[in-house]
Amino acid sequence: MIRIIRAELIRVLRGRTIAIMAASALAFAAVAALTVFSTARKTGTATRRSGATLADLVGDGGGTQAFAVGASFVGFLVFVIFIALIATEFSGGTFRAVLLREPHRLRVIVGKLAGLLLVAAALVALVEVLTFGMSLLLAPTKDIATDQWFSLDSVGAALRDYVTVFGGIAGWAVFGTTLAVIFRSAPLALGVGFAWAGPFENITVDNWSAGYRFYPGQVLGSLIRGGTAELGIGRAVITALVYTGIAAAATLVLVSRRDVTA
Amino acid sequence: MTNQQTSTALSVTGLTKRYGDRNAVDNLSIELPAGVVAGFVGPNGAGKTTTMAMLLGLVRPTAGTGTVLGASIDHPAAYLSRVGALIESPAFYPSLTGAENLRVFATIGAQDTARIPALLETVGLDGRGEDRYRSYSLGMKQRLGIAAALLGDPDLLILDEPANGLDPQGVREMRGLIGRLAGTGRTVLVSSHDLSELEQVCDWLVLIDTGRSLYQGPTSDLLKGGATGLIVVPQRSADHPALRDLLVNRGHEVELSDDRLTVSVNGADVSDLAASVNRAAFDAGMVLVELSPNRTTLEDRYLSMVHGGAR
Repeated sequence: MIRIIRAELIRVLRGRTIAIMAASALAFAAVAALTVFSTARKTGTATRRSGATLADLVGDGGGTQAFAVGASFVGFLVFVIFIALIATEFSGGTFRAVLLREPHRLRVIVGKLAGLLLVAAALVALVEVLTFGMSLLLAPTKDIATDQWFSLDSVGAALRDYVTVFGGIAGWAVFGTTLAVIFRSAPLALGVGFAWAGPFENITVDNWSAGYRFYPGQVLGSLIRGGTAELGIGRAVITALVYTGIAAAATLVLVSRRDVTA
Repeated sequence: MTNQQTSTALSVTGLTKRYGDRNAVDNLSIELPAGVVAGFVGPNGAGKTTTMAMLLGLVRPTAGTGTVLGASIDHPAAYLSRVGALIESPAFYPSLTGAENLRVFATIGAQDTARIPALLETVGLDGRGEDRYRSYSLGMKQRLGIAAALLGDPDLLILDEPANGLDPQGVREMRGLIGRLAGTGRTVLVSSHDLSELEQVCDWLVLIDTGRSLYQGPTSDLLKGGATGLIVVPQRSADHPALRDLLVNRGHEVELSDDRLTVSVNGADVSDLAASVNRAAFDAGMVLVELSPNRTTLEDRYLSMVHGGAR
């Protein structure tokens, strides 16, 4: 499996791709920090769809609030990217070509997922650092003191934010991989994924608030936010683990049992 | 072509793949001696690609057993490191260069990346290895596919329609490449629709139709005995009727058409028949400018077996 991960890193970590990822991370950091600071409310409770309050920004971990809030909207993007990357491996025949060199199918799919998640982990870390830097630049515009952002508690909060954001992103990645493996066609998998995680969840959840606790996309969104008013972090973690476990199991069964004909 | 036919590279018995009610491969048995260049021939849908996919562990057989390079086909991991394959169409990452693609696949297969420049040269892609795969022509993609198949310096090469979609020049280059690979002593199993190309490059043939075996054995055996006539052309066209009468009087069955006579072999030894005809013409004072067996081509044999109920 290590060889699959290495090959995936060779494939992804090339000059042009790295430059695009770095530019995207910088753009994300700028937009997230600007949006969170410009829309910060004086009071309120963090919900799945709300931004941060001024109190959130002043306190411990305030420097990474923009990162956590902004990242909650990135999960869907990760979902789409993983669907496209993995489904194209099937429809384009490269999955078949890989199996001719590494016939242990589970190693291949897990290695590919792990390789891409390693890249995602590095990218998330870069985004958090850049968003923190942007927040430092924007804090004076809102008269926000940044003294507490460098406390030990803030470091802990930053690490916690990183773990929850990456955990949520990993969940989206697994769901994307599952859809890609089921349909083995990027357009089809993207269509189904887009319809479910986009319109369906977000429209129906307005009339069925329990959806915040049960819909996979809402659960992962709450996880990335570090817990919300609708779904606490503890329950978000457990529910996300159950859903991700089911999706991963389905993926492994399909990959190991199906004929590879494309 | 090689003559190392001392051991078996590939052997399957009763190989079957069923999709619903349809048998894509039906109780197929193949034995391929090591060192041969074997042509795998059959019409579209005959089961060639499915058979190859089963040998490569991509498709699970419904029934049947077999070995590839001495290891059971139930455990492809035991032999795939010694097998190079190009199946269906070449599959690479479009945004990577040819060399980068080979590096990725060499990493996966724990194969030596130092061989990549030499392999690109072998397949005629030297100087194009740093171009993106998406900019390659179909012929270049096929050649990169062969280079990828050769990464592990395999003992067995399985090539599915490697000349598919190539122009005549590309087909000729591919034939030359397969011929050179054959010269290295490895076993090659190559499927193709271009029977004249296979006839030139293969010393072993496996013919299948609707998933069943029609023939397997040396190419020469399939074509031997296939000579149906002896083409005889006298120097002077005025001699045509006299020569025909002469041969008919000697008990031969002769057909006169255009500028040649065709003497039916009728089970006789072609060499003996040729000597007899030559002697008769010489004795009658006629000079022959052509005396050659009307050889059956692979295409003739193939079509007669597929459409003639020869199974």
